[in-house]
Parts: sequence; structure tokens; C-alpha cells
Amino acid sequence: MRINKGEIVGIVGESGSGKTTLGLGIIGLLDSPPADIINGSITFEGKDLLKLTYSELSQIRGPGIGMVFQESLAALNPVYRTDTQLRESIEVLRRSQDLNISSKAEKEMIIEILNDLRLDRPEWVLKKYPHELSGGMRQRVSIAMAIVERPKLLILDEVTTGLDVYVQNRILNILKDLNQRTGAAMMFITHDLLVASQICDRLYVMYAGRVMEEGSTDYIINTPAHPYTQKLFAAIPQGFVDAPPLPAPKGEAPDLRKLPPGCKFHPRCPFVMQKCKDAEPPVFESDCGDKVLCWLLEKK
Amino acid sequence: MSNIIEVSNLTVSFIVRGGNLLLFERGSGLMDVVNDVSFNVREGETFGLAGETGSGKSVIAWALVGLMTPRSGSVRVLGKEIDFRKKADVTYLRRNIGIVFQDPVGSLNPRLRVKEIIQEGLVAAKTFDRNEYGKRIDEVVDLVGLRKSSLEAYPRELSGGEKQRVSLARAIVVPRKVVILDEPTSSLDVSVQAQVLNTLKELKSKLDLSYFFITHDINVMKYMSDSLGILYYGKLLEVGRTYDVVTNPEHPFTIRLMSNVPGLKRTKIEDQGERLTEQGSSATGCVYSKICPRAFEKCSNSPPMINLGSDHHAACFLYDEAN
Repeated sequence: MRINKGEIVGIVGESGSGKTTLGLGIIGLLDSPPADIINGSITFEGKDLLKLTYSELSQIRGPGIGMVFQESLAALNPVYRTDTQLRESIEVLRRSQDLNISSKAEKEMIIEILNDLRLDRPEWVLKKYPHELSGGMRQRVSIAMAIVERPKLLILDEVTTGLDVYVQNRILNILKDLNQRTGAAMMFITHDLLVASQICDRLYVMYAGRVMEEGSTDYIINTPAHPYTQKLFAAIPQGFVDAPPLPAPKGEAPDLRKLPPGCKFHPRCPFVMQKCKDAEPPVFESDCGDKVLCWLLEKK
Repeated sequence: MSNIIEVSNLTVSFIVRGGNLLLFERGSGLMDVVNDVSFNVREGETFGLAGETGSGKSVIAWALVGLMTPRSGSVRVLGKEIDFRKKADVTYLRRNIGIVFQDPVGSLNPRLRVKEIIQEGLVAAKTFDRNEYGKRIDEVVDLVGLRKSSLEAYPRELSGGEKQRVSLARAIVVPRKVVILDEPTSSLDVSVQAQVLNTLKELKSKLDLSYFFITHDINVMKYMSDSLGILYYGKLLEVGRTYDVVTNPEHPFTIRLMSNVPGLKRTKIEDQGERLTEQGSSATGCVYSKICPRAFEKCSNSPPMINLGSDHHAACFLYDEAN
């Protein structure tokens, strides 16, 4: 997959499809063992991240690629106040770019970012420990920690999960705004198709560690080509109480240790053919240019 | 159509030490997490309760199965007024109302097999003969769509969807008329959620159940409930038939909530650009008045539930005839 400059790209899929692993892999945070990147490359601004030394990679983490983790409570250090954690991030920026930032300027930077994130009473937030903040505030502190380092790519892992709808919408707006102002590209990881469709320019739909469909958000929403994507959208409750049953895909996501042969979705697919059981499909292009991993799109 | 559960003026309080008591200065260190809430669950229907985190949705559920004792108000279940100080009444509640909790991991005993977890309900109810346990468990497992082989499994060996089905089996193993569903699908993936919602609807018509359904997801609420209530900081702000409340919300909070519901069509995200205050509730008067765009002087008083016709009520002075 690729992420262009200034683009917001969504990685969507259900739990266990490999979304977070992908994000952690890009930023080099996968523990090895057990994880092992056996082939492929991750090119960021012309450099293959997999070939860098630890210290070279550290230079890129933060000011190059920032990441906001799924659980803000676990991602923040419980024994430091917000203020200390944000200053730590500025320290990273200072070291990587040899900047000379006074303590006063540091404080101003922090307040400005918290203001940008529309946090009420930033001074008060700075004095608090993570557990004293609400989920929405904590999530924005995590985002602040990442953006204070001015990353060129921001990996956002389920940043709106578990938040109330308008806190969620507000964070989406803040991210969009940030993307437009700073041009930071974003990789937006989520299981929530509705959220992804609100903010992303392009989507990658993942299943069993594979990208099943890739394309512009509008195309994927309106004309999903892969049966899995179709099922995923159809499973979202839309009507009122008298609406017909939801056309849910049968079964559950496969166990990655016991993957079926051929297409990984074939046991749950309504259009399964013999071919699907025999061989994993290559990438086919749909009429509107989406890239789809499905034999149905094979040109006869 | 009769009411299976009637809740009137229910107030549940927590004792708070320290913390921000300024906001909730009622009594000495008592915080009303559910404040003067009234609603009915009608027979054969689903009553949905929607609200954000911390609004008190689960607390109402806990009170309805006697896990919390209300400070005031009345609860009638199948026509019987419940006295929460009487153990027999609390047992009556639990015998008649099943519950599925939000967290599928925390609500299933990790040291018991699925069969034993479901059986516990039967043992507690004392209405089944020991010889009938196996047959009844088999029936229920079939109803909720679990595989027979899951009976010997421990909860950790099951997927999230299967765990919620076990919870559901436990809730209906003793025949009941009402089941409380507290965010039953919020931890599930969308495709599994769809399967569980389908099962819930099927069961409801098959067993003539009524549901008290709690969720923060308005799309799920729309799809599941006949009537709904909107809870905010322990106060019920609006109640009505789901279709009316969703298509024609009247309370300013509900209006904002509904305009924020994500849909599949790409729309401009509703955002007034206001700051998100940490404490969005007011200690006196209408709980929403502090951030309500339409608040006026009167809102420093507590608004009554105002009848807007056809079962639709909103607790908002905007609809007060006296204006």
C-alpha cells in the first residue's frame, strides 16, 4: 500500500485482520520475536525503514512518523502529568532538529496545540495525570503528543473508538483541519466503516492480514466490489425496528493459525466458486479502478 | 398493551468522597447518577435507552435487577411494586428479569465451563428439576445459536460473539418475559454484531420477550427499539416512539445527538466549534443548560417532562405552554 503526501488513508477491517500490526510494523514497534518481517519493504521519503539501524529509525519516529495508540490510558505514562509527557515530545523534536526552544516557548507551543485541539482549560489539563482526564481529553492529549513533533505521517490507531459520537466527530474535524493546515499525511486505522467514510480519501479493506479491496472512499462506499466489503457495509444497521434482518456474513473471522486454502474469505462468501477454494486470487482491477482481491473480477 | 416494567421518578445516588462535589451539591456527598427518571417497557416491545458514557444507563439496568438500591422512586415489574429493602422482592426481580452485561469477558466466570455458567441460572431459580437441566440447556443453546461443542469450552476459548450468546443463554435459560441488554454488541465487530442483533430479534418474537436495550449507538438503537429514551447526566431528556424521536427530535440535546449520528453518505460533520467542556452538566436547573445553544433564563429551573403528543415527551422549557 502507499500513502501519498497530505493524504488521509483509511485501513478498515474487523478485529484480527492485521490493522494494528501493520501500523506497528511501519513505525518499527513490533517485538521480534514473536514478530518477524520476512519480506517486503517500507519506504518512507526514499529510505527503506527496514534497513535502518535502531538509532536511524529513532530519528524518524516522532518528527517523521508519529503514532497515536489505541488505548490512551495505556499509552500515556500514569505517573507523569500531561505537562511532563508533552515536554518529553518536544524534547524529541528538539534533539532531532537541533532546535533551541526555551522553556517558555515550550509552554507556549504546548498551550497552542491544546488550544488547537479545542481542549477546555489547557492550563488545568496540563496539571492532570492521565487517569484524571476523560476519554476524549486523554485521546486529545495523545494526539497532541504526536503532533507536537510535527510528523509528516501520522498513524492513528482506533483513535475515536469508545468515544461518544460528538466527541468522535469533533476529533475527526480536528484531524481534518490539522491535515489541511500542516499537510501531514494520515493513516487512519479503524474498525468503524462509518467513521472511516467520514474522514478518509482512500480506503484499504483488510481481512485475514490481506488487503481485499483498495480504492477511493466514494467508490468503495457506493460500489463495493469485494463480497467481503459488500457484506461489511450491509451489516451496518440502517433501518428502523421493522426492517428486515441484517444480511450478516455467516461465521466469524478466521483463525490466522488455521487459514483456509485459496481465498481467505471463501468459507463465508455467498458467491464462492470452485476456483476460490483452489487458489488465492491475484489483484484485479474493478471498473472504477479499485484494486480487488477476488476471482469474480477476473476478465473472461 | 400493558407495561411489563414501569419506572417512576427513579433516583439512584452514589456516595462520593472528594472529587468534584461542587457540581453535584445535593445532600452531603451524594451524587444522583440517575435523577428522577420515568419510563415504561411495554409488553412485547423493546425500550431503548441511549446516552453517552457516564450518563447512568447501566446504573438503571443494575437497579432493575437489584444490584443497586434506588434512593427514591418506584419500580413496578409485571404489576408488582418492588420494595428494594425486601430480599424476596429483589429475588422476584431477578427471577423475572434476565440481564446481559456489556463486558462479555468480565461477566462470565473464567473458571467455569459454558455448560456450568448457563446451569447456574437454573440452579438459582430453583424452578427446574435437576434431571431437566441438560435438556433445558440444550434447548437454550439451540435458541441462541451456539454450537453444542461450545458447552464444554471455557469462556476464553470462545470468540466475542459466542461469549455474548452464552450471556444471552444464561439470561433466558429460566423462561422470562423481560431481558435487559446492556450494550450487548458494543464490543463486537460489525459483522458479528449483525448476527447477534438478528438473533436477538428472532428470539424476541419466538419467546414473546420484551427488551430493555441500552446502547450508545443510535444506528443500533433505531434498528432495535420501538420506543426510546435519551439520558444525559442521569436525567431523561426525551422519550417517545423511536421513529418520532429519531426523525423529529425536540430536545436541543437530542437534536445535536441525532445530527452527529454517522451515516454512510458522506456529510459535513456537525460541529459548532464549541469547546468540549469537561463538565457538561449544570448543578441546578436543566442539566443541559450549560452548553445548550438555546438556553434562556428559565433553564436555571428544572424543566418538567412536557407532553408533545403521541407519546412523545421532552424535558425542555422550549415546549412549555406558559412561554
